[in-house]
Amino acid sequence: MSQPSIVWRLLRRNISAGQIAGFAAANLVGMIIVLTALQFYRDVTSVINTEDNMLTQDYIVLSRKVKDVSFGKSTGFSVADIADIEKQPWVKRVAPFTASRFHVTGKIDLGSGMYTHLFFESIPDDYFDTLPPDWSFDPEEENPTIPIVLSRDYLALYNFGFAATRGLPQFSEELISELELKVSVSGNGLERTFPGRVVGFSNRLNTISAPQAFVEWANGIYAVDKEEDPMRLIVQVTDPGDPVIKAYLEEHGMESAGDKLESGKAAHFFTIATTVVVGVGVIICLLSFFILMLSVYLLIQKNRQKIHDLILLGYTPGQVSKYYIRLSVITNVSVLLLSCITVFVAQQLWLEPVRTIGSEVASLIPTYIVGLIMVLVIIGFNVAAIKRLTRRSV
Amino acid sequence: MRIDTIELKEALPQVFRDDPAPESQIWLTDVEFRRPNLYMVAAESGKGKSSMCSYIYGNRNDYMGQILFNGEDIRNYDIMRWSEIRRSHLALLPQELRLFPELSAMDNIRLKNRLTDFKTEEEILMMLDMLGIKHKANQLAAYLSVGQQQRVAIVRSLCQPFDFIMLDEPVSHLDAGNNRIAADLIVEEAKRQQAGVITTSVGNHLALVDPITLRL
Repeated sequence: MSQPSIVWRLLRRNISAGQIAGFAAANLVGMIIVLTALQFYRDVTSVINTEDNMLTQDYIVLSRKVKDVSFGKSTGFSVADIADIEKQPWVKRVAPFTASRFHVTGKIDLGSGMYTHLFFESIPDDYFDTLPPDWSFDPEEENPTIPIVLSRDYLALYNFGFAATRGLPQFSEELISELELKVSVSGNGLERTFPGRVVGFSNRLNTISAPQAFVEWANGIYAVDKEEDPMRLIVQVTDPGDPVIKAYLEEHGMESAGDKLESGKAAHFFTIATTVVVGVGVIICLLSFFILMLSVYLLIQKNRQKIHDLILLGYTPGQVSKYYIRLSVITNVSVLLLSCITVFVAQQLWLEPVRTIGSEVASLIPTYIVGLIMVLVIIGFNVAAIKRLTRRSV
Repeated sequence: MRIDTIELKEALPQVFRDDPAPESQIWLTDVEFRRPNLYMVAAESGKGKSSMCSYIYGNRNDYMGQILFNGEDIRNYDIMRWSEIRRSHLALLPQELRLFPELSAMDNIRLKNRLTDFKTEEEILMMLDMLGIKHKANQLAAYLSVGQQQRVAIVRSLCQPFDFIMLDEPVSHLDAGNNRIAADLIVEEAKRQQAGVITTSVGNHLALVDPITLRL
């Protein structure tokens, strides 16, 4: 029968409740700051990003500034332009928009038909973080459907600018997605009609997007115009708030669509602020960690003779150090639990504002995992120190 | 595997290095302890008998020469090996007793016995009773006289399996009667375990019958 209480009664002497409580309190404060800041950051950025889950914050769409009326003169990007952009340190990768060079008309059958000229643009599939649903096109299929991603701005323009004043029906995003479009493609004396479906809406892509596979295939068959320099580029950047981007664009007469850089800039400062707060929290955690190490060092130093005598009785260093390890684990896990609970409670404070914007808060799990990792690191170093000091008392 | 022999080969505490060669049957010579014999190492104080016990018990290694268990050099045994030896092969009653003053007499003994699970509580109480300190079982060791502490430490050293038991001046504070009883307890336990007994003394010898006497 093992009843460890006698050993523990010996070893718990000289444990300073004040030091342990001091460590726990300091570490708790540090952990709460770190975890709450992280969670708040993730919740707020989830609001920023929620509108466009197909493309994240890190993409910008570039175009030339149009000056006066420019007939004939190309406002596109030359190969050299693209190569220069690609060289910039803030660019991860860049790709041109592929524009349709054939005639497109779209028709909706709603009793009275609505009919309009259209155009398509496409970006490479791998620029989507999540591909829009059914994002594929295979001309070999019987009657292939063209999936379309529509700019939210276009829909708003139609609904509030056009339909409202002309007595035309307004469409919600859901309804548009239900409708079947008839898309007619023509050129080179050929014509073909495809079913089309709006599968998503984007804030970032202010165009009518179709899969690259469709635009390239149709350009190959129906294109009447000669191929021109791309008018717009999609660029993945390291940090959309980086002021260097804005300077570069101004210098080269370019602009980024919808000036998403502004919200990017806000996000940039928010990121910096969060980093500072998290840094302060980490420093507090580090200092508390030193309190713990010092406390453990003093404890084992004071109990050195006892540990030595226990080992002379035949106890292994592991049998002795496990009591201190247990103390460290219990303290640290309690701190972790308390800080996790605090983050959960804190999140309730900003839950409502976030929900009114129409977004859902981010999951707590990644934040808890960060907390767990921090505590495991602390425990790891602490246990190593306890084992080392115990063996030194042998 | 049991320890059958403990040998000292040309061993000498390092602090004696520069002294004139001692006239000793232990230091700077070859000596072998073999179980289940009884040994009495007699010495004046300052000759290094506690050092000898510490060396054999792995507590210190500031000696020259070699100490061998079953012919194997013990100098490089690691702490896990020593823990195992101290639980199952070697018992030591150190001269300074090393009882924990903040624990009761009984808890001091339990501290060892829980590790080895060797004696029952009744057996321990019986031994305390024979040594006349059963009524002190729940007294803190700090409040026991040296003689009482010595008897508690003797009982504690018997609470384990051993091949050799080393007793460093075990009866320095005991009267003849308790000396007799302690010796009987120790020898009886050693016999049961077919173990060797090594005891040291400066004057008040443990009352062994016909031990092999070595001068330090």
